[in-house]
Amino acid sequence: MQLSVVKIPALLILILACIRCSAQFSAGIEGGYNKNYLVTNNSNRAFTNYFPLNGFNIGVPVQYQFTEWFAVVTDPSLIQKNYGQERSSFFQGVYQNNYNSYLQLPLTGRILFGGKRLKGFIDAGIYGSYWLSGKIKGVNANILDLTTNNTATNSIFDYQNRYGYNEKYIFDKKKDNRLEYGWIAGLGAGYDITTRYHVFAEARLLYTFTDQQKNYMTNQMPRYNSTYGINAGIMYHFHNNRTTK
Amino acid sequence: MKAKYLLLFVVLTASFFPSCRKDLKNVETPENYIGGTFDEVFEAFWNGMNANYVFWSIETTDWDNMYKTYKPIFAKLDINKTADAQKSVQYFRAMTAGLKDSHYDLSFVSQISDSNVSPAYTRKLNAGILRKRYVFYSYDASYYLDSASVLSGHDEVNASNGDTTEAITGTIGGNILYLGFNKFNLKTAYQSADNGVKSVLQYFINYLHNPPAGFKGVIIDVRGNPGGDISDLNFLMGNMVSDKLVIGATRNKNGNGRLDYTPWADALVTPQADAKAVTVPVVALTDIWSTSMSELTAMAIHALPKGHTVGEKTWGANGPLTSNEILNGGQFSAAGFLSVYTSSAMFRYKDGKIYEGEGFPPDYDVPFNIADFQNTGDLQLEKALSLMK
Repeated sequence: MQLSVVKIPALLILILACIRCSAQFSAGIEGGYNKNYLVTNNSNRAFTNYFPLNGFNIGVPVQYQFTEWFAVVTDPSLIQKNYGQERSSFFQGVYQNNYNSYLQLPLTGRILFGGKRLKGFIDAGIYGSYWLSGKIKGVNANILDLTTNNTATNSIFDYQNRYGYNEKYIFDKKKDNRLEYGWIAGLGAGYDITTRYHVFAEARLLYTFTDQQKNYMTNQMPRYNSTYGINAGIMYHFHNNRTTK
Repeated sequence: MKAKYLLLFVVLTASFFPSCRKDLKNVETPENYIGGTFDEVFEAFWNGMNANYVFWSIETTDWDNMYKTYKPIFAKLDINKTADAQKSVQYFRAMTAGLKDSHYDLSFVSQISDSNVSPAYTRKLNAGILRKRYVFYSYDASYYLDSASVLSGHDEVNASNGDTTEAITGTIGGNILYLGFNKFNLKTAYQSADNGVKSVLQYFINYLHNPPAGFKGVIIDVRGNPGGDISDLNFLMGNMVSDKLVIGATRNKNGNGRLDYTPWADALVTPQADAKAVTVPVVALTDIWSTSMSELTAMAIHALPKGHTVGEKTWGANGPLTSNEILNGGQFSAAGFLSVYTSSAMFRYKDGKIYEGEGFPPDYDVPFNIADFQNTGDLQLEKALSLMK
């Protein structure tokens, strides 16, 4: 779905309408932990499932606070969006973990609420990211490395030897879509530990709406990342227009 | 005022969140399609190929274009009409004509006349490079092998539909070991109760493990050999190496996308018990009918320090086969109407080239000519012998 030509201006108007003279600029660092799910359908594949994997992210949050209760935030980040594929039953032990790193640039509106020093906030916005690199680690059964004189028959590895790998993922220009866009929603809280320093923590959802694959074949099954994470960080207020009691 | 803005913010942003994603449609195995119409059969076949065929990365066939072209054509066919069933075979043949997989073959559940769909066979036939298939080991045993050394036999124990394995071994000039056989089912024969092939293999393996002084070389004749059991790669070649031998690599599908592959995994020959590395020349005799395991065996021989191939370029069907669920790809059946015989993995030789659809070229090209053969003898074997002088 394309963004509606009505919705974007509406959001911009909302942001502009909120601008006040009491602007405050802050920047800092943050880090976080996430769990990424690959959303797709491979129900036709025998004993094969995708599963979420944990990842990390670091970023540089930059906040421009227009009013006591509204700010715009961006946090250029390096983020992992990892997932795995595993096989079960007779194929137990066959798996592949995909470790993918993205350079991500979000833009979110932030509604602040609460007291003077301790504030809660809600974030909503969009992001774009670029799939920088990938690594694949896994074990497969090797059809041209058969076992010899093995009498057990309850696992694929009784017939074919394991092939373990841990290597850089080579992008396929025809298949891999390295640009990703999506929505961000977040809920968090921050605390002004001094007039200049502010710590915060946030739970976030990254909801991708671009397929990881280019549209390279008919009847293509899309693959989307959905990432749930928690972030924590510290920011420095550069222009403080209010005093802390 | 603030609460109003907050509410507006939440409502506006929430309105953006309805799914911007495409639907994740049901994806069925091609076997699950009912096949009550040709439209269903086409969908099952086309999608089955999309997800299970392993050579898309090297194909030139525009499979999407096949969908656009043939979906409306199949939709007009009536599955209850014999004439339409025959037409469907022509369309399947046209859709698959350019596929590189040289194992590829379609078979139809119902009896349909003129229903052979084998792209590699048709291409070779049209190119005029097919000739009658021969095996040469009986001739070679009569005219080249030391008569006192010749040992031949059949495996009647593991025959299926009257199709038995036969093998011949012996020496040439007392110090060159020869083995010829009609198909790869050697390990099974060797591990079964007494049979003629087992005796042949015992002789051959014992010779390799205990070579006489002056041992000059080994000739393995896979001409006219259509291949067979993949476990014979270790069984046969593993008796000529003392360490694992990398002959190439394989990869298979790991997703439904045409280009979803596992990483390449080394294709290995594992030494067998008591095996010694063969340090003398080993020659594979190949021809255009050397297929599948015959080709992998020839490539494994070529990968040996003193390995050579002599004869003709092979058939070009190198990808190993197993059942679909093992490697999540390869052969399948579609809507109860047809079965697709196709490789389960892609094979790449150790030189980095994929010979699927091309055939493995011999080091020494000695084309077969029936007149030369009748007048002069087995020139391919003679070339192999010349490498062992």
